[in-house]
Amino acid sequence: MSQVAVEVPPKGGFSFDLCRRNGMLSKKGVPPPSYRKTGTTIVGLIFQDGVILGADTRATEGPIVCDKNCEKIHYMAPNIYCCGAGTAADTEAVTDMVSSQLQLHRYHTGRESRVVTALTLLKSHLFKYQGHVQAALVLGGVDANGPHLHTIYPHGSTDTLPFATMGSGSLAAMSVFESKYCEGLTKEEGIKLVCEAICSGIFNDLGSGSNVDVCVITKGQKEYLRNHQLPNPRTYVSSKGFSFPKKTEILLTRITPLKEMVEVIEGRDTMEE
Amino acid sequence: MKLDTSGLESTAPLFGSSSSELLDEISAAPSFALPNTINFDGFQKEAIQMVKPAKGTTTLAFIFKEGVMVAADSRASMGGYISSQSVKKIIEINPYMLGTMAGGAADCQFWHRNLGIKCRLHELANKRRISVTGASKLLANILYSYRGMGLSVGTMIAGWDETGPGLYYVDSEGGRLKGTRFSVGSGSPYAYGVLDNGYRYDMSIEEAAELARRSIYHATFRDGASGGVASVYYVGPDGWKKLSGDDVGELHYHYYPVMPSTVEQEMVEVTGQ
Amino acid sequence: MSIFEYNGSALIAMVGKNCFAIASDRRLGVQLQTIATDFQRIYKVHDRLFLGLSGLATDAQTLYQRLVFRHKLYQLREERDMKPETFASLVSAILYEKRFGPYFCQPVIAGLGDEDKPFICTMDSIGAKELAKDFVVAGTASESLYGACESMFRPDMEPEDLFETISQALLSSVDRDCLSGWGGHVYVVTPTEVKERILKGRMD
Repeated sequence: MSQVAVEVPPKGGFSFDLCRRNGMLSKKGVPPPSYRKTGTTIVGLIFQDGVILGADTRATEGPIVCDKNCEKIHYMAPNIYCCGAGTAADTEAVTDMVSSQLQLHRYHTGRESRVVTALTLLKSHLFKYQGHVQAALVLGGVDANGPHLHTIYPHGSTDTLPFATMGSGSLAAMSVFESKYCEGLTKEEGIKLVCEAICSGIFNDLGSGSNVDVCVITKGQKEYLRNHQLPNPRTYVSSKGFSFPKKTEILLTRITPLKEMVEVIEGRDTMEE
Repeated sequence: MKLDTSGLESTAPLFGSSSSELLDEISAAPSFALPNTINFDGFQKEAIQMVKPAKGTTTLAFIFKEGVMVAADSRASMGGYISSQSVKKIIEINPYMLGTMAGGAADCQFWHRNLGIKCRLHELANKRRISVTGASKLLANILYSYRGMGLSVGTMIAGWDETGPGLYYVDSEGGRLKGTRFSVGSGSPYAYGVLDNGYRYDMSIEEAAELARRSIYHATFRDGASGGVASVYYVGPDGWKKLSGDDVGELHYHYYPVMPSTVEQEMVEVTGQ
Repeated sequence: MSIFEYNGSALIAMVGKNCFAIASDRRLGVQLQTIATDFQRIYKVHDRLFLGLSGLATDAQTLYQRLVFRHKLYQLREERDMKPETFASLVSAILYEKRFGPYFCQPVIAGLGDEDKPFICTMDSIGAKELAKDFVVAGTASESLYGACESMFRPDMEPEDLFETISQALLSSVDRDCLSGWGGHVYVVTPTEVKERILKGRMD
């Protein structure tokens, strides 16, 4: 039998088959591509009955804002969420990967996921790739052992903190936390403080912007407050709309009617013969 | 450190030697400070790379029976971005002489203006117009004196003098060539193709103008950095005259008319039955 | 020059009322030299799902073939077409697989999902999804396209309005880009029909 030449869908893991070609290109002086980043402010804090996570909603590619309202608070488990900063693809992929592992783990054990499990899975993946998977995370959740808040750095080191910030706006946000955080905050106070920290990132850090997302996790329940604050509404909308003085000239038009969806009902003969 | 710009001097100082500082400043030969760097040539080249407008161009000129035909596109680009579609790339040095612009826009404009001054002064001093040979040599000498310092000029000097039509190619490397057919810029290979194919010495003015226009059009079609308006100038015994300035966007559909939209109705095969 | 600018491209997708439009330019170049002016950058995955690939053309075509292969396997196994959301996840996964040696292309995905809900999405070259409600752009003219779309886009446009808006945004943007243009190619997809149009544009 000849070798199977057909490409079989891979089982998983990275593929490095273009690395040599791309390396050759960069050796020839072609600059390596830039990726979409979440130049970000992400924060988290522990309040009296749980954890609050917060994030801005700007995604950038170099100097361009390519998404004005992206989601940076990722789902990990029903009781665990994770904010991601760094290369967008990496934060997305790493959180998705770990959340599916957690789901499988829950199916297996039938118990609620623990935050430390997520933490270990994340850090071992990041450590394995020695910082090349560029994800800086703030992981928060409430499990059997109470509320937890961790930060994870791209190289795989972690911190366990009562309040944490990450991303390019982390300094701006941390200054707010350092001056105003105290133990035993109520939910309202906590949300207010998180919003203030994110807003200081939005307004003082160029990599962060647009809106504030908040996620409150307490024992047994969570509240995902998408676009909790909208401090930057669009100010330049033309109410008149847009009209085009000169119509686009068309060289060729091809119209293809779409087939009607025929519903086949089982057990009845739709074909006449 | 000061750069010697004696090449700029067009005449003896207008003011006599005076002790006044103000007068000194006015009457002193123009000069500008040099960057404080070890690798001067390298610095200049890098600086030019940083701000390099009007890189892509198509310009052409040729001598034929009736005189000289000069043509150019009008696009200025910075990297991939088109910064202008209406640049005047044919510079009118005096009523009998034209220069074309390729390379750095500022370099070309400045030195052509400077050449204009010199030509006028020559006229005043000698009571006759400067020859094209002389003018091009003046420019070539200046450019040669700045050789390797980062000037970027590729130009053609076309005109009519006592000996008839004249055409010279001058560049910032110090080269100066006499010829009957030249094209300069990123689109020049395409322009040469059309020009060489259609060139005859005994063309009429109309034929020559059409050839020039077509050459520019074909260059703008193939070259991404050329476009805008194809302007055609003719230099005859009575000086230059602008013959045409056609928008290349319209010129294409003039040369290759297209039928306006034909609607094709694609029928899907009848399903069922 | 970045490798994304080697061939030059411009791509947009826009959402209208129960419909969407996806448009591209028609140039294939090698840096500044124009090779072809009838290049297909938008591919049909199935009747209601379109994929535009900007960036390096060789990678775009390879990627497209891999995606077609995977989509056909899906069709054989599931006996139905992929939903746009599913397809976007597939593209994202295939791109992220090559995280450390990426395909140099940036896809734009547009499709009609269940109940004729339009879906548009773009990604960077390693599969970071950006789901947008209004419009997405990609290619060498993307900066100009962002500007044009931001000012021209209105929500809930009817198909003909959407076509005019996307065409004007495309043509005006590529006129500011050396590396894309030479005409336009627009698909407007409604629940009942696909209207494909070739636009007259500047050929310089």
